Amino acid sequence: MKYSNAWHLRDIILLTLIAIFFGVIYWIIGPLYNVLTVALTPVGLGPGANDIVMGIWVMAGPLSGYVFKKVGSATLGEFLGSVVEMFLGGQWGASTMISGVVQGVASELGFTFTGYKRYDWFSLNLSVLTTTIVTFGWDMIRNGYSKYHIGLLIALFIIRLISTWIFSGVLVKAIVNLLDRTHLMQTQTR
Amino acid sequence: MATISVNHLSFSYPTEDGQKPLTLADISATFPNGGFSLLTGPSGSGKSTLMKIISGLYPKFGGLITAGEVRLNDTKISDIPETDRGQLVAMMFQNPNQQFAMDTVERELIFALENQCVAPADMMARVDRALDYVEISQLRHRQLNSLSGGEKQKVALAVIIAMQADTILLDEPFASVDPVARQLLLAKLSRLQHEEHKTIIISDHDLEDYDAYIDHLFVLNDTGDSLVLLNDKAAQQKMATFKRQDTSNQQLLLPKKTDEPIISANNLKLTAGTSTLLTQPKIDFFQHHITLLTGANGTGKSTLLLAISKLHQYNGSLLLNQKEIAKIRPNRLYQQVALVFQDADQQFLNVTVSEELALSLKNSQAPAYFKDRIPKFLEKLQLTQLQDQVVYTLSGGQKKKLQILEMLIMATPVLLFDEPFTGLDFSSLQAVMTIMKQVAKDCQQTMIIVSHQLFGLDALVDYHVTLENKQLQYVEGLA
Amino acid sequence: MNPSLKFLLAVLIALEISFTNTWTVNLGLAVIGLLVILSSRPSLKRLVLLFFVPLIPAVALAVAILLQSNAGIHFALVLFTRIYAYVFVGSAATLTTSVADLVMSLEQNAHIPSKFAYGFLGAFNLLPKIVSEVNVIRAAGNMRGQALHIWSPQLYFKAILASLDWSENLAEAMTSHGFSEDAPRTYFKQIRIRWWDWLIVIGSLALLQVALFGLHLQ
Repeated sequence: MKYSNAWHLRDIILLTLIAIFFGVIYWIIGPLYNVLTVALTPVGLGPGANDIVMGIWVMAGPLSGYVFKKVGSATLGEFLGSVVEMFLGGQWGASTMISGVVQGVASELGFTFTGYKRYDWFSLNLSVLTTTIVTFGWDMIRNGYSKYHIGLLIALFIIRLISTWIFSGVLVKAIVNLLDRTHLMQTQTR
Repeated sequence: MATISVNHLSFSYPTEDGQKPLTLADISATFPNGGFSLLTGPSGSGKSTLMKIISGLYPKFGGLITAGEVRLNDTKISDIPETDRGQLVAMMFQNPNQQFAMDTVERELIFALENQCVAPADMMARVDRALDYVEISQLRHRQLNSLSGGEKQKVALAVIIAMQADTILLDEPFASVDPVARQLLLAKLSRLQHEEHKTIIISDHDLEDYDAYIDHLFVLNDTGDSLVLLNDKAAQQKMATFKRQDTSNQQLLLPKKTDEPIISANNLKLTAGTSTLLTQPKIDFFQHHITLLTGANGTGKSTLLLAISKLHQYNGSLLLNQKEIAKIRPNRLYQQVALVFQDADQQFLNVTVSEELALSLKNSQAPAYFKDRIPKFLEKLQLTQLQDQVVYTLSGGQKKKLQILEMLIMATPVLLFDEPFTGLDFSSLQAVMTIMKQVAKDCQQTMIIVSHQLFGLDALVDYHVTLENKQLQYVEGLA
Repeated sequence: MNPSLKFLLAVLIALEISFTNTWTVNLGLAVIGLLVILSSRPSLKRLVLLFFVPLIPAVALAVAILLQSNAGIHFALVLFTRIYAYVFVGSAATLTTSVADLVMSLEQNAHIPSKFAYGFLGAFNLLPKIVSEVNVIRAAGNMRGQALHIWSPQLYFKAILASLDWSENLAEAMTSHGFSEDAPRTYFKQIRIRWWDWLIVIGSLALLQVALFGLHLQ
């Protein structure tokens, strides 16, 4: 299969639709983040909710990277998703677009490091790792994680890594496997 | 002014393994300049494909021309630059929901004019005229998402008029358009043809209402290898035989006093956008009976099924076994009621035919009944050989048969069908109806069926409800 | 104000306050954001939601600092006010600009290729359909005895299949309405950047530096 790096109108619409679908699924299926946050806040672990659901937040990135196999697709997917989310009135306001870029670049790196040549378990896992590290770095700054005791910091990192692995790794792979078996992507994206 | 000629055209959607099955094979025809042509043929014959080739969308968006060409006057379609094409050919699509880029009616018209590099100073006059022509000036600032199917197609025609396209293609444009809007659209198209000498081609499998308007009738056969222009006599004959199959002497009973209601509507009101579809003081649907629901396109039949399935909001009361549907939790409701969607793709959850069947059998409410019978049903439906196939690559008719079977297997007490017989050939239709009848009886199901196609339904259904003038009513005749 | 510059300013402000720790400045920005929001006459429901939505993460972050670090109440206050500044500054931009206007400005002023601008816009306008499609997918699952959760691959699989279908329909329709990638277009509504747009951006950022620097010296 030949994949071109040019973006056509149809690809852009498809990427945006996927990003919006993922956002809508997150919002419809339940205020998971809010419930977890409220439950964890009294013991001072509220931010942990952020790490627990992080994998769901960033799923659109690796999925776009994997589906489109173009340079910049993971970044663009996350970024477009964040613009939509900001207009829908998300909880992070103007910083959403910054986070979108950070998360997008973070998941893109996994594919960059493999030269956009490998689209398999390895590159996906690499993407999970880069996503966890980069987004964690951003939360050290934005959400003041850098001030936490080292024990909590490590715990949060591990939680985030597991969440990202489950959703952006295992679940994305399962979705892509279903898609691959239909052969619809190959015949339709050019 | 444009004559469209199709010369020995063959077209294929190449498959994954490099094969090139032909959707259209060596077809030729000339659509006359300034004429109003109707292109008909069974569903799945490739009408839509041909329309998209003429409009220049294919092969850009899919498929491959393997032989032949389409010419507009004397120029090959593929040689016309995309930027000039809008003035030559424009298309109205079957699905009114995904044909606009902008949010409001006015902005969509302006978007199209901007694409054509019309000078900004000239735009308003063209927008005014186009909206006025289709009589939708009052919709000018409305959100496109809030419009009904008929209104959206009027907007689509207004866009085409504003673009001043010479040839107007309409691909099954009336599928979700109510009768009043349909008449208006046809009258406007006729005026465009006579006063402005536009060339018009409509594709439709339904021939109703066209005889007053069309000059030429083209027929594409079911295998896509013959496209012929009928002479006047043959065309007249075809139109006449299409007139609703004569079901006038078939009589059904009205519900009996002793029938048990299972779904009851009280002061039910259904709306789509800002228009009211249904205001119903009272009506019941009865347990263990099969009820047919008919009415014109776009009048709200599908919406009623969606409301019963809790997928469309309603006002007033809609009860299932004395419980308000809006208040039943989804996972409970769907053990009682299931909907066979109009679009079969929406039903499928897995990849292959056998996976789909396995899921239904696993969660069926009558697994023992179906376990032994599935092979026989598959054989009757001619699906036995297809079990490893990806469901999304089945033909339209095969998808419908699989979809109906897998929903029957669930054995849900109430089963709603939204146009289940679309795209089925005669023998498939017979097989599907026999199986539906048998399962309904053996599993004591209640069915409500929305269908345009009435042929042979007198053997399947018990009662008939019509939707007319925003009211549901039981009637005795099938027609 | 010019939509592109408005969003640029909002994002730059958000970026800057992510790296600074002056809660009074955050509070000031939130108040200014709120004033802009109020000038757009939002509904009471929206206003209430606007105060409530950031409350959960803001409280969570502040409490976590108090209980799980030695950074103290000052830093907790910084994080709390930062979230409100993010949301109010962001909403000041989104509530006073339509997506269509932003897209047109990005096309004309920021010279984003029109295929990105209108591709995004066309997809965004399908939002109501996307919401109902997610409901249909979940209902289709329940009707087959399979509840679809946020961790169910089928849920996303079906969403992507719908996206594939719709993206093709929409791209074809836009092309049929004369849209051509990389082709020149005219603009009915000219969106310009005026000198005062730049003045607002540069002036606001300068004021922000003065405020941050001044308060830092104290």
